[in-house]
Amino acid sequence: MVRVKSRYLLCEINVSDRSELLKLDDRAVARAVKAAVARTHGDYGSALCSMRFCVKYLNAHTGIVFLRFPKGCYKLLWSALPFITSIESRGQIISCFFNCLHVGGTIRTCQRFLIRYNTQQLHRMLPKCKNEEEKKQIQESILSCSLMGRNNEAFEDELESEEDGE
Amino acid sequence: MAVFMDLNVLFSADRKRMQSLIETAAHLGFSTVAINYVFEPTAKKKQEVPSPMPINELIGQLPVVQGRSRPIRVLNRLTVVMSEASHFRPNATEYRAFDLLAVQPTTEKLFHTTCMLCDVDIICISVTEKLPFFFKRAPINGAIDRGVVFELSYASALRDTTMRCYTIANSVCLMESCKGKNIILSSAAEKALELRGPYDITNLGVLFGLSDADSKEAVSSTCRAVLLHAETRKTASGIVYTMKSQQEVLEDSAGSEAPESQKRPKTPGEWGFGRGRTHS
Repeated sequence: MVRVKSRYLLCEINVSDRSELLKLDDRAVARAVKAAVARTHGDYGSALCSMRFCVKYLNAHTGIVFLRFPKGCYKLLWSALPFITSIESRGQIISCFFNCLHVGGTIRTCQRFLIRYNTQQLHRMLPKCKNEEEKKQIQESILSCSLMGRNNEAFEDELESEEDGE
Repeated sequence: MAVFMDLNVLFSADRKRMQSLIETAAHLGFSTVAINYVFEPTAKKKQEVPSPMPINELIGQLPVVQGRSRPIRVLNRLTVVMSEASHFRPNATEYRAFDLLAVQPTTEKLFHTTCMLCDVDIICISVTEKLPFFFKRAPINGAIDRGVVFELSYASALRDTTMRCYTIANSVCLMESCKGKNIILSSAAEKALELRGPYDITNLGVLFGLSDADSKEAVSSTCRAVLLHAETRKTASGIVYTMKSQQEVLEDSAGSEAPESQKRPKTPGEWGFGRGRTHS
């Protein structure tokens, strides 16, 4: 069996104010990426971008997006991503930038990386806790994501709600 | 994993902005950041060289770098914009307060002299205007032999289309002569939102005409080479350097309580040998 190969870019959308992330939706992100590619690489870029590009996943709480690009030209399309300075969503302009964390061949490797990355974020958060309750909550969620054999989806949701609370 | 550095973050007196810049840089995974003070002498009146703000005054507590347990390292850097040969004074004491020294020549003759003679670490390539002169092979090779690096900054390319054209054109022009060696990519960011992640910069380097390996080096190992070069500039070829000995400092802080006879004769410093620091 031969399969169509793609590259999945795991990107983090960084904004100055975290509450602005909630306004994002995947269509707005896709539009911003397509516009940036068209701006930097012209018609050729937009042609490549129209082939199999899609936004696979968007987590509006943590600002994580999965972008799928065709394998042959992902480097070219990726080089347009730094030029994104804002995303227009529902009539509002959110100034932000994309930070690529990981490039994977399958969604599964990206997910594995993301879980590790989010655990790392929790570890970074731990010293910044203000009171005991927060500290306990974060410690619990760190323990829960190092526990294997649980449904991945379940504890990823947990991570989200945790980071939301910060 | 390589250690990523961003050796150009513009200084602003706004403390809050600096803080958010440094924090974002740490979040993106940069383990060293240099705050850049631009000094542009004009012909008419004499200007003061800016003096660096102490880092702990500027940023309270240094944030921990992403993926490491160490806090971010913040350095000071001075960029002298040169339009005349007299603007760069090689032995100025004001320059000693900075960790890194950069020069931005504006004419071809000055570019030649800075590449061949001036004792600097970084030569900035202007990216906001059409190339004022053509890069010749000889001065660039001379600079590479001496270990001086060329710097390309990408923040202006993010702002608008014409700047992007100039940045890409100038960098591709430079790559023709230096073939991707001794190049560093840095941000020159004023705001936190103008920084980019190290992997994105690496990929951006490909757009600027660097090869994959070279553009990765441009954010990691070449930057490290710059820091080492800066150290040799301060010391005698990095072998001998002077520092105030620890004991003396302690006695100084104790003040006049220490009896006069126990005080050692005051010397400007103690000689240490080898690259390691000596503590008496």
